[in-house]
Amino acid sequence: MIVASRLQGFALLVGATASLLMIAPGVSLAATGARETPTVLLTQGDTPTPAGAPPSSSTTPTAVPQAPKNLEPLAPDESTGVLGKKVVGPDGKDLGLVVDVVVAADGHPSAAVIDFGGFLGVGSRKIAVDWRLLRFAPGRPDWQVLLTLGRAEIQAAPEYKPDAATREMVGPPWEAPPSTAVHE
Amino acid sequence: MAWAAKQGVGLSATMSPERGLDWLNLFVGNIQTGFGPFIAVYLTTRGWTQTSIGLALSLGTIAAMISQMPAGALVDTIGNKTGVVLFSVLAFSISALLFAVQPVPLAVYVAEVIHSFSSCTLGPAIAAISLTIAGPAMLGLRFGRNARFASIGNGIGAALMGACGYYVSERAVFFLTAALTLPALLPLLPLARLDYRGAPAGGHDDAPTRRGAPVRLLRDRALLTFAVCAMLFTLGNAAMLPLVGNALTKTVGGEANLVIAACIVLPQLVVAAISPGIGRLAEASGRRLVLFLGFCTLPIRGLLFAMVTDPILVVLIQVLDGIAAACLGVLVPLVTSDIAGRSGHFNLSLGLIGFAMGIGATLSTSLTGWVGDRYGHPIAFASLAAIGLAATMLVWIAMPETRTTRRLLVQNSR
Repeated sequence: MIVASRLQGFALLVGATASLLMIAPGVSLAATGARETPTVLLTQGDTPTPAGAPPSSSTTPTAVPQAPKNLEPLAPDESTGVLGKKVVGPDGKDLGLVVDVVVAADGHPSAAVIDFGGFLGVGSRKIAVDWRLLRFAPGRPDWQVLLTLGRAEIQAAPEYKPDAATREMVGPPWEAPPSTAVHE
Repeated sequence: MAWAAKQGVGLSATMSPERGLDWLNLFVGNIQTGFGPFIAVYLTTRGWTQTSIGLALSLGTIAAMISQMPAGALVDTIGNKTGVVLFSVLAFSISALLFAVQPVPLAVYVAEVIHSFSSCTLGPAIAAISLTIAGPAMLGLRFGRNARFASIGNGIGAALMGACGYYVSERAVFFLTAALTLPALLPLLPLARLDYRGAPAGGHDDAPTRRGAPVRLLRDRALLTFAVCAMLFTLGNAAMLPLVGNALTKTVGGEANLVIAACIVLPQLVVAAISPGIGRLAEASGRRLVLFLGFCTLPIRGLLFAMVTDPILVVLIQVLDGIAAACLGVLVPLVTSDIAGRSGHFNLSLGLIGFAMGIGATLSTSLTGWVGDRYGHPIAFASLAAIGLAATMLVWIAMPETRTTRRLLVQNSR
């Protein structure tokens, strides 16, 4: 009886291993995907890993024989990664997470894509807000991105769809919008 | 702690198998709601891009789809169903820990696949244990109780994890899931004493002597019709709640999350309340009637959602979701056991139904997204209602009553 149940356990393990083997192509895809992220960040000053994010093994795929000569320090209290950072409103209430950064042709960020709301994954939606509406405080422990927008404006904002033909972001309220059109 | 564990073991050893199965359903329901909804948010907070998260989640979906039937076939060949449950629950826990400890891509992909595969072995194994415990005449009632306790477990799990994610951290949700797998192991003690192979007279679901070729079973007209019905139903149903959530964020504003939470919790309560009654009704009045009733709710719900935007009414309409979920929760294992319970391929057949529903769910999301973007929410709801109507009509026209088939088989085998 015991031997039989051991065998059954083994059968389960074989099943699991077989399914592991199937994901091998997925793994190599992931490695290339991970390499894409830093190339975008290069324009922001050669960040190998976003500060604050734990060092992940996939971002250092090969040992670099020689460090580049033009290294500049990225002071942790003056710069930071923003992907996955929590966003709070002026009242300090939790709004959502930064999930993407939209950059203009010159490489400067024009909008942040923020994932708002929802319960157990139902009813959350992404909206784009003008980069200038965000306040950052790197250096302070446990800092969160401050979004200077009211809840009403967030709720009225159109959903951001990365593949849509026309995309809109919520612009700053304090000026006549010079270009509320989306930067491609 | 050790004392409590000892007490727990002592308590569960004196538990009847019936009670044990109740608790097992509850605890498994607990972990099955689990961390799924938190994966995207958790990986986002760890600096994952949307693309890589999408890749990881799709990997999980694909793994779940392709392992449905092989996992079912595997469970068929294993006599010791409690052993299968034990391994599946432990696999859940390993998967949760892989997410929690170090969410690097490889660990996340492995965790997704383990999670998907163990989901595919867990459900069928519990259904197979139910077959052994309940015996043919009481099966409807047994699956009704399963659905009730699973739903209570789901609700408790969702509340615990939601609170944990909100007050502690997303990461803590994964540790909590791993911890919650431990109480799920206790009810296995009274169940492990049952002998699943020394089948009583008449043979049991997995009596090896009665096993025919799986191909013949998969050509069974009733099973295939049921699979198509289940697929159509899921095609019309799966995207409905997300669409409601999406519509609510636009119409309700600040309280949207509260309304969405109510839309999720209310159906669970309905399932917990009426499932045993649904099981009794299926035994008394036949499967076709109950299936038809459950399916009917879908076109009605879709049409109502297309017309109603008042949040209180929207929540009330979700009662229909609960009725449908209770009917499906009871009837999927029940009809499958009617058709295949004694063929030796019960779990494979459940896997087939699960596969069909998986296809329906995947298509439902993309279809609804496409229609919603182009023609707006009301049209999207109306299309889901139309699919639901087609599913209901298919049940009425093509689905045979399976209850008598099983009785006939019982008589034949005696």
